[in-house]
Amino acid sequence: MRNRIFIARLCLGILGVTALASAPLNFAFAHGDQKMECSDTAMNAMDADVQAMPEGEAKTTAMKEMDMAKEMMGNKDMKGCEGHMHNAMEATEE
Amino acid sequence: MSDLASTRAARPWLATLSVGVVLLAVVGAAAVVVYGGLYNVAADVPHSQPVYWLLETARDRSIAVRAAGLVVPDDLADPQRIASGAGQYAEMCSGCHLAPGMARTEMSRGLYPRAPELRRGSRADAAEDFWVVKHGIKATGMPAWGVTHNDKLLWDVVAFLRKLPKLSPDEYQATVKSAPKSHDEMMEDMQMDGSHGGP
Repeated sequence: MRNRIFIARLCLGILGVTALASAPLNFAFAHGDQKMECSDTAMNAMDADVQAMPEGEAKTTAMKEMDMAKEMMGNKDMKGCEGHMHNAMEATEE
Repeated sequence: MSDLASTRAARPWLATLSVGVVLLAVVGAAAVVVYGGLYNVAADVPHSQPVYWLLETARDRSIAVRAAGLVVPDDLADPQRIASGAGQYAEMCSGCHLAPGMARTEMSRGLYPRAPELRRGSRADAAEDFWVVKHGIKATGMPAWGVTHNDKLLWDVVAFLRKLPKLSPDEYQATVKSAPKSHDEMMEDMQMDGSHGGP
């Protein structure tokens, strides 16, 4: 009985490690050719895109994401900033 | 004259002087902003939200007022008009306004204000769309196509704009291919007819 439990846990552990090891270290964004860099120029371009959106949920989401991106940029968290800018871009595509 | 009476007599003068000073200050501030180049007109720096709202509202109202008297043809759903408009849209419009399945172009990413992505639909009605296509919009990059195209061709474009948001990328390509003539052929026909664009 103990052996069965041990083997079951071992199998689950191996499965878990396999899943973690196969997860990508970075994500391939859908708009790979439009890498979202965290810079004033890119921020201004995204602000212009968001400004031009019709009023609605997508625009609200995009504006929130841009606010968070700017906050991240202020905190020197460039990865976080790029992530939020990417989310904003996704919202502009809706 | 008593002090109170003399004060009351001076009030109209004071009011006029105050208004004059305020007006002078406003004009002076405007001159400093304009001649000092204080407002950044770079296309890669968006307007502040209040300025953006003001310009958008002025634009939308201007178009609405001027388009109000236009008579919209009743055959905008005619497949022939739509096909003709599709060919022109692909040639004249898609570079800035994009199309179903089309990635953003360098032009669309650099224009400010952004050219609306018309595959998502338009807030304007048919008359307003026609007015914009014909007369353009100042200081935006939207040309006045009416200078070079007659009203019939422009209404064909409007007919296509009504259909565009419903098209998938494949349907868009098929509609463009179904255009009876290329843009250059339509322009030649227009010139042979003698019906150049104009007001």
